[in-house]
Amino acid sequence: MSLNDEKKTPENEKDGRVVFRRKGFQFLGMGLQDYIRVFFGGNASLAIIVLILICLFLLREAAMFFPDHHQGLKSYRQGGQELVGYVSDEVDAHTKVYSSANIAYFAEVGRTSIHEDKQLRAYRTVLANVEQSTKYTWARLERYLDEAEDLNDDVEDLREDIEEASADAEADAEDLKKDQAELAEIEARLKQLEPLIAKEREQLEKEVQTALGTSRVWDLDIAARGLSDEELSMVREAVVFEAYPDAEDEHESIQNLKQVSRDKKAAEAERLADFKETLNGIRDSIRPMKSLYGEMKDISVANRREIDAFSTAPARRAALLAGVEQTDDPAEKERMQKQADEVVIVEPDYDAINEPLYALVPQHGELAGPLQDEMNKLFRQLPQEVETKSARENMKRAAVYYERFDNTVTNNRDRILDWRHDAPLSLWTSTTSFMFGKHWITNSSWHDFYGLLPLFTGSLLISIIALTVSVPFAVAAAIYVNQIARFKEQSFVKPAIEFIGAIPSVVLGFFGILVFGEALRNISQLEWLQWVPGFPMAERLTILNAGLLLAFMAVPTIFTLTEDALNNVPAAFSENSLALGATKLQTVFRVIVPTAVSGIIAAILLGFGRIIGETMVVLLVAGNKIKIPDFTEGLGVVAQPAHTMTGIIAQELGEVDSGSLHWRALFMVGMVLFVISLLVNWAAQRTLKRLQKI
Amino acid sequence: MKTYMSDQEDQMTLEPQGEDAPVQDQSAVDALETVIEVDHVNFAYIPGTDVLKDISMNINKGEVTAFIGPSGCGKSTLLRCLNRMNDLIPKAGLTQGEIRILGTDIYHPEVDVIELRKHVGMVFQKYNPFPKSIYENVAYGLRIQGVNRKSVLDEAVESSLKLAGLWDEVKDRLDSSGLGLSGGQQQRLCIARTIAVQPKIILMDEPCSALDPISTTIIEELITQLKQEFTIVIVTHNMQQATRVSDRTAYFYLGELIEMDVTTKIFTNPSQQKTEEYISGRFG
Ligand SMILES: Nc1ncnc2c1ncn2[C@@H]1O[C@H](COP(=O)(O)OP(=O)(O)OP(=O)(O)O)[C@@H](O)[C@H]1O
Ligand SMILES: [Mg+2]
Repeated sequence: MSLNDEKKTPENEKDGRVVFRRKGFQFLGMGLQDYIRVFFGGNASLAIIVLILICLFLLREAAMFFPDHHQGLKSYRQGGQELVGYVSDEVDAHTKVYSSANIAYFAEVGRTSIHEDKQLRAYRTVLANVEQSTKYTWARLERYLDEAEDLNDDVEDLREDIEEASADAEADAEDLKKDQAELAEIEARLKQLEPLIAKEREQLEKEVQTALGTSRVWDLDIAARGLSDEELSMVREAVVFEAYPDAEDEHESIQNLKQVSRDKKAAEAERLADFKETLNGIRDSIRPMKSLYGEMKDISVANRREIDAFSTAPARRAALLAGVEQTDDPAEKERMQKQADEVVIVEPDYDAINEPLYALVPQHGELAGPLQDEMNKLFRQLPQEVETKSARENMKRAAVYYERFDNTVTNNRDRILDWRHDAPLSLWTSTTSFMFGKHWITNSSWHDFYGLLPLFTGSLLISIIALTVSVPFAVAAAIYVNQIARFKEQSFVKPAIEFIGAIPSVVLGFFGILVFGEALRNISQLEWLQWVPGFPMAERLTILNAGLLLAFMAVPTIFTLTEDALNNVPAAFSENSLALGATKLQTVFRVIVPTAVSGIIAAILLGFGRIIGETMVVLLVAGNKIKIPDFTEGLGVVAQPAHTMTGIIAQELGEVDSGSLHWRALFMVGMVLFVISLLVNWAAQRTLKRLQKI
Repeated sequence: MKTYMSDQEDQMTLEPQGEDAPVQDQSAVDALETVIEVDHVNFAYIPGTDVLKDISMNINKGEVTAFIGPSGCGKSTLLRCLNRMNDLIPKAGLTQGEIRILGTDIYHPEVDVIELRKHVGMVFQKYNPFPKSIYENVAYGLRIQGVNRKSVLDEAVESSLKLAGLWDEVKDRLDSSGLGLSGGQQQRLCIARTIAVQPKIILMDEPCSALDPISTTIIEELITQLKQEFTIVIVTHNMQQATRVSDRTAYFYLGELIEMDVTTKIFTNPSQQKTEEYISGRFG
C-alpha cells in the first residue's frame, strides 16, 4: 500500500497537514482501489482454498477405501468364500459352454423352418404393436363384452327360474314378480350395452386399421424381414382377426404355420438327435459338481454372516448405547440397554467354521478329473459342421469357452488343494484387486466385488471409438477451415462447429437414446452391411453409440485447439514454402501441420480428457452393463453395452450410505479418473510448451 | 534498353563459368539476353488505387539488379509481382501491362504459378527456416517436386550449401534443427534452400536488413558469386550495398520507375534530378 506510506513522509507532516491527501471514498484507511483489490484477491484465494479442500476430501475418502476393502477381502477369505469362488468359476465356465452349444443346437433345429418362424415372428411383432396402440379401446370393449356375457348368463338363469316357477303352482307369486322385474332390468341393460359394444367395436376396428397403416407397427426385426407381399398381407389378415378381445382362436393360417414349423423342427430334431444327446450329456455332467458347489456355498455364506456379525457388533452396540444416553423414557432406556447387553462380541473360530469346507475339498478333487475327461469326450462329440450362421458363431464361442473351462479346472486343482483360510493377505492385494479386479458387483448377498476393470475397459473402449472418429474429422476440419477454406466458408463453418460445444450433454444423451441409437440399430440391420463386425446389433444402447456421440462432443474441443495451433504457425512459413514452388496442399501438409503438430497432439489429448470425463452421455447411452465386454467377438465388441467410470459414480453415489465401503470405492474410481485427467492435462501442457519453443 | 549492355558484355564473357563447359558457351552468346521484361505495368492492392504506375524495365541474365527508393515506393510490390507472390492477397493484381519472364507472359491464365516459382525463387527479409533439420530445409524444394532418392538429395544439399557458403559450418550437424543457427547462417540456409531448386532467377527482398555487418558482408560476397549462375534482383535500402553488389540499379519513387541504369552511372551521374536528390540525400 504505497499510498499509505506517503503519509509518513516528513514532507507531508511538515506543517501538520497531509499535502497529497487522498481524495474520494475512504474507509478504515483503505480507498476504493484497495477494496476492489481485496474483493478480487479474496475471490481468487477462496477458489484456490475450495479446490484444495476438495482435493483433500477426495484423497481422504479414497485412501480410506483400502483398509476397508482389505478387511472385506479378508472376510472373503476367512469365511471360505474364496475357496467356493474357485468352484463357482468352474461351474460358471461350464454353463457358458453349455449355453453356447445349446443356442447353436436350437439354431440348427430351426434351420428348415426359418421362413415359417419369420412369418410367425412378424405376426407376433405386428400384433403386439397393434395391441399396444389399441389397448384402451380394447380394454373398454372387453369390459362391455364381459358384462354382457355375465348378464346373458343371468338372463338364462332367471328365465329358467321363471319357467320353473310358473310351472310350479306352489311358487311364491312375489318371487316370480321380483324375478320378472329383474329380468326386465337386465334386458334393458343389455339393450343399453348393445350400441356401446357396437360403438367400441367400430372404434377398435378403426384404430386397428390406423395402426396397421403406420409404418412403425411394421418396423420388423431383422430376422423377420424379407417376407413377400403375400405373406405380409396374410400377417395383416391374421392380426386383424386376432385384434379383438372376443377373438376365439388364432387365425387358421397362423395355426397352420405353427403346425408346419413344429413339424419341421421335430424332423430336424430327429436328425440332430445325437447333438441333443451330447448336449444333455454336457448338461448333466456338471450336476455332481454343482451340488457340491451348493453345499459349499451354504457353509461359506453362513460363515460370512457370522464374521460380518462379529465385525459390525461393536458399532451396533455403540449405536444402542448412544440411544440409551439420548432417550428420557426409562422403559425405552431399559429396553435398549438390554439389547446392547445382548450384543455379543465373540470372534468366530475360523478354523472350526472352515472345517466342513476342508472336508469337502477331497470330494472336489474326485469330481474335477472325471468332469474334465467327460467334457473332453463330449466336446469332441459335438458336430463339427453346422449349417446356420448363428450356429457356427455359437459353436466357435463354445470352443473358446470350452478351452477356458478346461484351463480353469486345471488351474484350480492346486489352488483349491493349497487354499488356506488363514493365509496372509497383503495390503497390496487390496490395491491390485481393485485396479485389476474383473468384477464390480455390489449389494450382493454373496460378496461385494470392487474391481475397476469392467468400468475401465468400458471407458477406454468408448474413448477409443470417440477418438478414432473425432480426431480425423476435427483435425481435417480445422486444417480445412484454417488453411483452405475461403473467408466466407470460414465465417460459417467455425461458429457452426463451435456451437456443438454449446449443446448440453443431457440433450445429446436423449438424442442418443431416442434417435441415434434407433437409427444405428436400423442401419446395422441393413442386408448389405452385414459384413461389418458386430452387425446386426441387438441393442440400441451400446459402446458404439456412446463412442460416436462422444466423438461428436469432442469435435469442437479438438477442432478449436487444432485451429489455434495452426493459427500460431507464422505466416512466413507458408510464404517461404510457396515461394519454393510448393502447392498449397504441400505447404499445408509438409510445413504447417508438422509445425503445429505438438499443438495438435495437445488438442487431441485435451479432447481425450473431455471424452473420458464426460458423464451424462455415457450414463444415458452406453447401456450401463457392468461387465467386461466379450472380446471373443473381435471388433464386434463395440456392439455390446458397457458401463463407465464416470457413469458408475453418477449412478451409484446418490444411493449408497456415506462412509460405506461402496461409497469409498466410488471415490476411488473418481480418484482414478482424476489421475487420468491430470496426466492427460500434464501431457498436453508439455507438448504445448514444446510448441511455444519454436 | 539494349544499349545499356554494351559495356557489360566483355565482363560477362570474361567471367569464369562453373564446371559446365557447354553452359559457358551458351551464356557467352546469351550474355545480353533479357530474362525479365516488365512492360507498362500498373498494379493495385485495392482496385482503383495503383501502387505501381506504368513500370517498364528489362532485367538481364547473369546480372544483379538492385531496386532502391524510399519506403513505400513499391519495390517489394514489383519484386513480388515477378513470382506472383501477390496472388496470395485477395483482390490484388496487375491492372495493366504484362510481365514476361523467359519470354512467357507470367500472368497468362495458362501459366502454372507453381512452375513459375520453381524458376523464380525468393529470399525474404526475415530469414525463416522451417522447423526441420538443416538437411530437410535444403531438401524441401526437391522433395515437394517428388525427388526422394537419397543420393540425389544428398548431392543437391551438399552443393547448395557449398554454393551458399554454409557447408563448412554445418556439414557436421545436418540433422540438427535449422532454427539453431545464427541469424546470418539462417539467412544463408534460406538462400541454399532457394538455390537447391535451381531457379533461373532469385529475388531478394532486403536480405541483409535483419543481419549484423559481418553477416551482411558474407551475404554480399555470396551474392556476387551467385550471379555467375543466377539472375538476381535485390531490393535494398543500403546504398553502399547496392553499389557493392549490383550491376544495374533501378530507382523508384511513389510507384514510378524514375531511372534505371548501370549502377556506377546511377550513383555517379544520374540522369534524373530526383535520383540525384535521393542519392545525395543518402550519401550525406
Ligand atoms: N498487402 C497490402 N495491401 C494494401 N496495400 C499494400 C500492401 N502491401 C503494400 N501496400 C502498399 O503498397 C505500397 C508499396 O508498398 P511496398 O511494400 O511495395 O513498398 P516498399 O517500397 O517495399 O517499401 P519498404 O522499403 O518500406 O519495404 C505502399 O504504399 C503500401 O502501403
Ligand atoms: Mg519492402
